[in-house]
Amino acid sequence: MSPEGVTSPNPVGDAIGKSVPRLEAREKLTGQAVYTDDMTLPGMLHAAMLGAPYAHARIRSIDTSEAEALEGVRAVVTAEDLPKKKYVGVFLKDQMTFAGDKVRYISEPIAAVAADTLEIARKALQLIEVEYEELPAVFDPEEALEADAPILHENRDEYPCPYERPEHPNAVAYTQFKEGDIDNAWAECDVIVEGVYETPAQEHMYMEPCSTLVAVDANGKITIWSSMQSVFRVQTMIAEAFDMPMSKVRVIAPRIGGGFGGKCDLTNQPATVALALKSGRPVKMTLSREDDMMMMKSRHAGKIYCRTGARKDGTLVAREMRLFLDGGAYADESPEVSTVAAFFGRGPYRIPHVNVESWSVYTNKLRASAFRGFGNPQATFASERQIDEVAEKLGMDPIDLRIKNALQSGDKWLGGQTVEGGSLAECLEKARAASDWDKRRQNNGKEVRPGKRRGICVSGMSHISGMLSAGAAVRLHEDGTVTVNTGAVDIGEGADTVMAQICAGALGLSLDQVNYGNPDTDSSPYNFQTSASRVTYMVGKAVEQASERVREQMFRHAGEMLECAEDDLELRPGGVIGIRGVGDAAVPFAAIAGRSLYASGGPIMGTHNWLFEGERFDPKRALVRGFALDGIGVFTFGAHVVEVDVDMATGKTEVLEAWCAHDVGRALNPGAVDGQIHGAFAQGLGYGLYEELVWDDGRLVNPTMMDYKVPGPLDLPYKIHPILIENPSDGPFGAKGIGEIALVGTAPAICNAITAATGAAINRIPATPERVLRAILAAEGGS
Amino acid sequence: MRYLAPGSLKEALDILRREDDARCIAGGATLVAMMNADLVAVDVLVGLGRIAELSGITETDDEVRIGAMTRHAEIAASPVLTGALGVVRSAAGQIAHPAVRNMGTIGGSICHADPAADFPAALLAADATIEAASAEGTRQIPIGEFFEDYFETALREGEIVTAIRLPRGPAGARGHHVKFSRVDGDYATVSVSAVLVMAGATCSYARIALGSSGPVPIRVTAAEEALVGSPLDQAAIAEAARLLAEAADPVDDVRGTTEYRLMLIPRLLARALNTLKDGETASV
Repeated sequence: MSPEGVTSPNPVGDAIGKSVPRLEAREKLTGQAVYTDDMTLPGMLHAAMLGAPYAHARIRSIDTSEAEALEGVRAVVTAEDLPKKKYVGVFLKDQMTFAGDKVRYISEPIAAVAADTLEIARKALQLIEVEYEELPAVFDPEEALEADAPILHENRDEYPCPYERPEHPNAVAYTQFKEGDIDNAWAECDVIVEGVYETPAQEHMYMEPCSTLVAVDANGKITIWSSMQSVFRVQTMIAEAFDMPMSKVRVIAPRIGGGFGGKCDLTNQPATVALALKSGRPVKMTLSREDDMMMMKSRHAGKIYCRTGARKDGTLVAREMRLFLDGGAYADESPEVSTVAAFFGRGPYRIPHVNVESWSVYTNKLRASAFRGFGNPQATFASERQIDEVAEKLGMDPIDLRIKNALQSGDKWLGGQTVEGGSLAECLEKARAASDWDKRRQNNGKEVRPGKRRGICVSGMSHISGMLSAGAAVRLHEDGTVTVNTGAVDIGEGADTVMAQICAGALGLSLDQVNYGNPDTDSSPYNFQTSASRVTYMVGKAVEQASERVREQMFRHAGEMLECAEDDLELRPGGVIGIRGVGDAAVPFAAIAGRSLYASGGPIMGTHNWLFEGERFDPKRALVRGFALDGIGVFTFGAHVVEVDVDMATGKTEVLEAWCAHDVGRALNPGAVDGQIHGAFAQGLGYGLYEELVWDDGRLVNPTMMDYKVPGPLDLPYKIHPILIENPSDGPFGAKGIGEIALVGTAPAICNAITAATGAAINRIPATPERVLRAILAAEGGS
Repeated sequence: MRYLAPGSLKEALDILRREDDARCIAGGATLVAMMNADLVAVDVLVGLGRIAELSGITETDDEVRIGAMTRHAEIAASPVLTGALGVVRSAAGQIAHPAVRNMGTIGGSICHADPAADFPAALLAADATIEAASAEGTRQIPIGEFFEDYFETALREGEIVTAIRLPRGPAGARGHHVKFSRVDGDYATVSVSAVLVMAGATCSYARIALGSSGPVPIRVTAAEEALVGSPLDQAAIAEAARLLAEAADPVDDVRGTTEYRLMLIPRLLARALNTLKDGETASV
């Protein structure tokens, strides 16, 4: 949370709470936005990467001589060209830019070529001769944890790892949260539900595939333009991989075409850097969609064993959950994802007796990493399906049951942190009212349209939006306008606009008077990353407070200029400071800026830098074992009500309408908040109904947009109703994050509605027509 | 790669005779994607877009003739394709997305011979004849002989499909294409094309074709015979479906398992027949 005494000012002017269009809307709509692949440098080469053909194999030799001899080829790089044993990663560092001794998934990069044209580079890849010795592979996390499973990383003790390694060498990380007295709790329960839930590896499917452009100057300083979620993460990790000081690495963000977590940390930057260093020329590498899908990252597939017990009156008593998350061949963000999954294993409910255990596990598949929701969607799918089942068994309204058990402000989260802004019950009530729940629920199971059964149901959800650190700088220009600098990379979600709005609101300026600077490690204040729903809350707070510092400095000047006490001053819209209650006693920002530059005090610049310091776990309350992140927080809450029709002949689900209530603290730009809810609902709908990466013996069988389907416009309901609830937080003007939470509960809400329509239990997503039809037939056969 | 754009059919056929490894491009809806994905390498690309005689829909008393370069969107909107030919119109309107329908052509679609496409089954149900031209002359290929295997047709080297000829079908016939796909715009998991005539409550004529159910679209005479003379009751539909499913050999892939596709056949057949029986004409 924000440190004591850092309070939000009252916004001046009309920038806050207004659905202003995106700052970059015009350039995007006219095609003028510059993405990495649009950029060209003199002498620039084009590059491509070679992926491994085996899921698990020892590399006996790599011969690049024929590729190097091809006309137009300027550089070929393999593991040999990089510093030895320089592993990168987030917590557990286990990965190198190119496979060294072994390959651990099909399409794992083993070499890259830079050439005069992309065609030549691709042709050269085919000339690289690699000798392999195939090894037994493992593709299922639970099988990977068996005693005799093939080991992916025999050398894991070499890897830098800040936490105690789990015993099994294929276990990336293990987390346990235990509270209350779970063993004796079940006897208190009148109803116990138990089930196994499966969730898919989802593809990020950002519109812009990974793309990087690298130039090296005469002093060896590297400049990187890339499609990424953080200039600073890329700077840190490139310096680490290449064993060079960060002062020699500059990273600049052009426009980014989506990330969803898939562009956290590193993507194809290190391979491109290696080629630029070796060739001495600028190198650009843009992955094809297929390479991107096969080489980069996905969401963790999950298998979740869950048990929940309640008393007759609907009081939830006990919850046990074991999660197995498929991390693929390298750790990447797996340790954090599995700990966050465990963190949400109880859900936003008061359940006194809890035992949650979570594993992320190596398998010989594509790496799994950060993805909107970050472990939470997997846990929430199981949790919310099960809460619904409890409601059904008890004959209770599923909203009533959730409200009865909803966490309130002052309650403790799993692990012991204090919940602030505990508004789940309010979200549920608002969604119930808006959806005309009681009336529509009477249609559950009915054939409202021929051949289809109607169902409406609900899911609660929660997430966090505060973690790690961020800074901002606001500089006053000579003419009274300002420039805001932060390290927040706008990956398409609209942060640039919202950051500019916060500054404008804090200083009473119009958006035209605020310039938002592009993130560049050479000049921007630090920000961890565009991830974890944290930019509005974390960076926004830094912008708000940096603006306040500018205002304070201007007030000092204005007090002297107007010969009054600073306490009597006020900001007026448009960049003017006046004496409260005295209409014509005012000075414009430009006059103050001029005075500061030429007469008194020096240039005006405000900065604010901070670290989110949340509460720590409470060892008196909870047993926390393994790897667990605390100090994160600012809980957010939401509820979705979803209505579906299920085609009883084919099993196909059509989502008809959705009501998505979210407590966003304060909607700084309601249009942008609605957009996040719409987008997250759509991506959650894809997760729930369509999207699933499928492997056959380690080979990804659907690495194209033809075979892997995301929902299109006609697959989405026309009516997705965002319902914004505004209980101010300690964030900028009261705001908190909305980037992920609306995805988290979408799939369970849809599946709960399918169950309401058909009576069939849908415990595996995506709920494809085939799975739903089989569940319907099974339910019919059983009744 | 060379790109040639002949202005007449004769000129195009001359190019095909002269050039080795020349490949025709119609709307490009599939071929361009395949070239981008490095699935096909083309030395000489022969664009058919400037050949006016290959495009458009014309009719006589006996038949409707669709030029091979006619776009899906035009077919989907054609007022000429009524009665039995509603099956073709209905199929055209369900292909992919509007952008693809504005570019893709019927000739290109059938020459690609993807059994998951919508036209092959619809044309089989409509008893179409494929007209193909080469430097040697023109020949007529019955639709039942045109599709030979996955992505393989009876077309010979140097031949170009010039038109699809559709007989009017029996009086009172109605046609409809039922497509099931994972998401809007995807290829069919299974499709059923049907043409029916009802004499009162009794079916007097039936042509049924399955799409996405094997290497080529599937028609089973015995299944049609099971329907003719029946009131299209559950028993008759189940028997026809059983015979069709027996002949089907669907793949097992991301669009659906073999078993699910076999489950869909009776379900979609019933939907197609009930739609037609209830007198709804194809409206897409």
